[in-house]
Amino acid sequence: MPFRLYIHIGLWCALFAVFFAFGIRIAGPALVENHIGPVEVNRSIDAYILALSGIEHGSEKLPDVFGRLPKVGPLIIVVRKDNSQSEFLGMMIGYISWPREIKLIKIATPTAEKELAGINPDSISGLVFCLMDPPAWLGKPIRLGSSIFLVPSPKTG
Amino acid sequence: MTLLGLSAGYLTIFIAGFGVTLLVFARAGRLNLVECSCLSWLLGSGAVSLLIWLCGTFCSGLLLQMAVTIACLALGISGWRIKQKLGSKFALPLPTNVIEWLLTSLLLVEIILFFYVSFKHTLGWDGLLNWEIKARYAFLSGGVIPGSYYSDPGRAFSHPEYPLGIPFTELWLYLWMGEPHQFWVKTIFPLFYAAGALLLALFVTRLSTKRWPGLIVATLLAFVPFLSASPGGIIVGYVDFPMSVFYLAALGYLLCWYREDTVSNISIFAGCLALLPWIKSEGLILWVLLVFFGLCLSLPKHRTRQVTLALLPGLFIVVGWRLYLRLIHTFPPADFAHPSFSLLHHNLGRLADIGRVFSEDVSTLVYWSIFWLLAAVAIGYALSARKLEKVILAMAVLLPIVLYPLAYVFSTWPSYTAHMTSSLPRLLLHVVPAGWLAIGLALTQPKGQVR
Repeated sequence: MPFRLYIHIGLWCALFAVFFAFGIRIAGPALVENHIGPVEVNRSIDAYILALSGIEHGSEKLPDVFGRLPKVGPLIIVVRKDNSQSEFLGMMIGYISWPREIKLIKIATPTAEKELAGINPDSISGLVFCLMDPPAWLGKPIRLGSSIFLVPSPKTG
Repeated sequence: MTLLGLSAGYLTIFIAGFGVTLLVFARAGRLNLVECSCLSWLLGSGAVSLLIWLCGTFCSGLLLQMAVTIACLALGISGWRIKQKLGSKFALPLPTNVIEWLLTSLLLVEIILFFYVSFKHTLGWDGLLNWEIKARYAFLSGGVIPGSYYSDPGRAFSHPEYPLGIPFTELWLYLWMGEPHQFWVKTIFPLFYAAGALLLALFVTRLSTKRWPGLIVATLLAFVPFLSASPGGIIVGYVDFPMSVFYLAALGYLLCWYREDTVSNISIFAGCLALLPWIKSEGLILWVLLVFFGLCLSLPKHRTRQVTLALLPGLFIVVGWRLYLRLIHTFPPADFAHPSFSLLHHNLGRLADIGRVFSEDVSTLVYWSIFWLLAAVAIGYALSARKLEKVILAMAVLLPIVLYPLAYVFSTWPSYTAHMTSSLPRLLLHVVPAGWLAIGLALTQPKGQVR
C-alpha cells in the first residue's frame, strides 16, 4: 500500500474518532432528558405558558379571559425590552389571542409611565403586562398566573 | 381519529410525491425504492404546500381540502399509470456484507431515535412563533391565512413574509387531524432527517460507486450536535434542517446529472431547486448559487438550455410569492436593510466583528463537534482533485458559509453581533448535509488524487 493511502486512512480515522467522541457526549444526553408527551393538542404553547406564568392549559384559559374584553380596539401587550422571557411571553399572548388585533410595546424602564401615557384607554380593549408590573395609575390589574397582569379597558362590562 | 387523520394526511403527501417521482423516473427502467420514498416525501410536501397556497386563493374549508386531495390522487395515479405503461420495476437495494448491514441498521436506529427524541421536546421558539403559527392561523380560517395576518404590525414578530413550504405541510396534517395538534405535527421533522440521511448515503454511493462511505457519513450525520441536540435542530421544529435536505438533494442531483446526463436527474434538480425559496427566505441565496453551479457544469456539456429550463419553476415560485406579498400589503421585514453600496461602505467596519463571531461559532464544539474541520479537509481534497464537479462541490459548501455571515453587514439590529449569534448557526446548518457529501466523496478519492 502506498504511504499516501496510509496517511489518508489514518487522517480520516482520527478525524472521525474525535468528531464522534465530542458529538456523542453532547447528542447522547438528549436521549435521556425529558419524557415523551403529554400528547396534547397545544403541547408546545401550553408548556411555555406554564413555565413562564404558572398557568396550566394557558392556550384555553387566557383566550377565555381575553374573550370578555371589548371586541373593538387592539389588545396592548407590554413587555420588558431586552428581557427575552418577557418578550417571549408577550409573543405567546399575541399568538393565542388571534384573531384579535394586538400591539406589542417594548418598554425599557420598569415603570412604563412615559410610554403608556399617550394611550387612550377607550381606544383599546385592554393592556397585558408580561413579567412586569403595570403603573398604579392604570387602576387595579387582574393577575393571571404568576407573571401576567391584565388591565381591562374601562368599557369592559 | 387524530391518528387516522394524521395517517391520511401523510398518505396523501406521499401519494402526491410518489406520483411526481414516478412521472420523472418512469423511463428509468429500474426504480430505487429508497430513493423514490425519500423524493416522495420531499416533493410531496412541496407539492401539497404549493397546492394549498394556490387553491387557497380560490376556495377554503372542506372544498380546499378536497381539491388538494384530488390533485394529490391525480398525481399519484398519473405517475403509477405511466410507470406501468413503460414497464419500470421497483428495486430495493439491500446491504451486501456485514459492514453494510451494520451501518444500515445503525442508520435505521438513528431514524427511530429522532422520532423518539422529537416527541420529548416542544416546538422551539422559531418553530412555534415563525412557522407553526402560520399553520395554526390558516387552520382556524379554513386552510387560508387571512390577509389581515400579513399586514398586522402587531404580529410582525412572526415574520409574515416567510414562505409557506413547511407551515402548509403542517397545515395539511392539521386539516386531516381536524385539530392543530402540536404533538403529532412534529413527526414531519424526523421524516426530513430520514430523507436527508438516506439521500446522502445514496448520493455518495452513486458518485463514488462505493456504498460503505455513503453509509458511514449518513450514520455520522446524526452526531452533529446542533442538528440533534441544540435549539435550532431537528427536534424543535425549525425549518433549517428541511432546507438543508432540499439543498443536498438539489446539489446531489446536479452532480449526478453532470456524471449521467439524464432528464430524470435534471428534473429532480429543478424540483428541489424550486422548493428552496419556498422553504425559507434564505433559500433564495442557495437557489442563486445552485443556478450558477448548474450553468458552470452545463457549459462543458453544452447543456445550458437544460439548466435554464430547470431554473424556471423556482423563478416562478420566487416571483409569485414576492408578488403575492406585495398584493396583500405584507408588513415589511425589518431584520435586514435593503442592500446598497452606500450602506455597504458605511458598514464595512463590521467585517472584523463578523469574522470573529463566525470563527467563534464554527469552532463551538457544543454546536458542531469538529464537523467544520472535517468539512475543511474534504474541501481541500475536492479542490486538489482539479475536476470541475469536485470544485463545484467544494464551492457549494464554501460559498454559503462565506455569504451568510456577510449578510450581517446589512443587519438592522442594534447589535449585529447579537443578531449573528442568534441566527448564524441555523444558517450554517443549511450546508451540513452538503458538507457530509463532500466528506463522503473525499473518503473514496482515487489513490492518485490523494495529495
